[in-house]
Amino acid sequence: MSAQSSEAAEPNYTPILDMVFQLITFFMLVINFKGASLDQSLQLPVLGSARPLEWKGEHEPLVLNVDNEGRVKVYGAVQPAESYIASEAKDLRDQLTAKGDKTTGELPVPVILRVDRGTKFHLVNHVIKVCQENGYHQFSMSAMSGKEE
Amino acid sequence: MSRRRHRKKNKKGVELNLAAMLDMAFQLLTFFILTFRPAPIEGHLSVNMPPPIPQTNVESRVTVGDEGAGGVIPALHALHMYVTATEGGDVEQVRLESSILANGPLSEGALAGIAKRLRPVFGEHNVLYDRIQIEVGRNLRYEELLKLVDVCSQQKQGDGSPIGKVSFVEMQR
Repeated sequence: MSAQSSEAAEPNYTPILDMVFQLITFFMLVINFKGASLDQSLQLPVLGSARPLEWKGEHEPLVLNVDNEGRVKVYGAVQPAESYIASEAKDLRDQLTAKGDKTTGELPVPVILRVDRGTKFHLVNHVIKVCQENGYHQFSMSAMSGKEE
Repeated sequence: MSRRRHRKKNKKGVELNLAAMLDMAFQLLTFFILTFRPAPIEGHLSVNMPPPIPQTNVESRVTVGDEGAGGVIPALHALHMYVTATEGGDVEQVRLESSILANGPLSEGALAGIAKRLRPVFGEHNVLYDRIQIEVGRNLRYEELLKLVDVCSQQKQGDGSPIGKVSFVEMQR
């Protein structure tokens, strides 16, 4: 009797460990690190016909968040549109050249434009023009696909 | 006695200390919970927008707007839509070449009307337009522009293929 009392009570960790691993698996599957590049403070326009972008290219699209004052935000920080887009285009061209693909004109990567719904056209147009000057011709304009956000 | 004890130990088997593994698992779980931020699913409207081209076809010697007088369709490839905007950013007027498509803010009905007017322009087999260029007033709100781009990009050419090229430029006048 006294020998039994002296043994420390050891809880069975197996069920809790199973549960924790299941939770970890769930979060690992749903985590999206790209989400950090999307500025969630923007109020995107609502467009019923908007469809999810199916991009299967080798290079990642250029994501530009444009607020209602026409400022380009990258990972939450305001960046000068001209220099940022030019440097991204240069990096992409360097990558393509390294792979033996000499692209001088159109870049084979779309620009994802996440623009606030209230932004005036001339501000958006400025960003688009800068993209076009740097070789981006494919644009994908983000919108919410339903009435709910 | 000692033999008995030895047997007992073997029966018990190896016991792993799960506490350390559980600690690590909880740390991972904490990380994932803290970094979890479910984002709403966004849709996209894809357009191919090469830089704007000159609006007059030199070979045809006909400029935009002149085709109405003689009733001759010029050898142009871009159909021009003009959208003027109010100071507040709403649509004031939508014109297709010289004909008015809509006046005032864009409602569902106005958009349907624009789509209806555009359909025959691209539906015929002998059309000369393969893209739409929208000239936009500088104050137009992005949301309104996107509605128009959506209507334009949904138009189908004579062979059933969608209009792939919709571009927009700032209205100069």
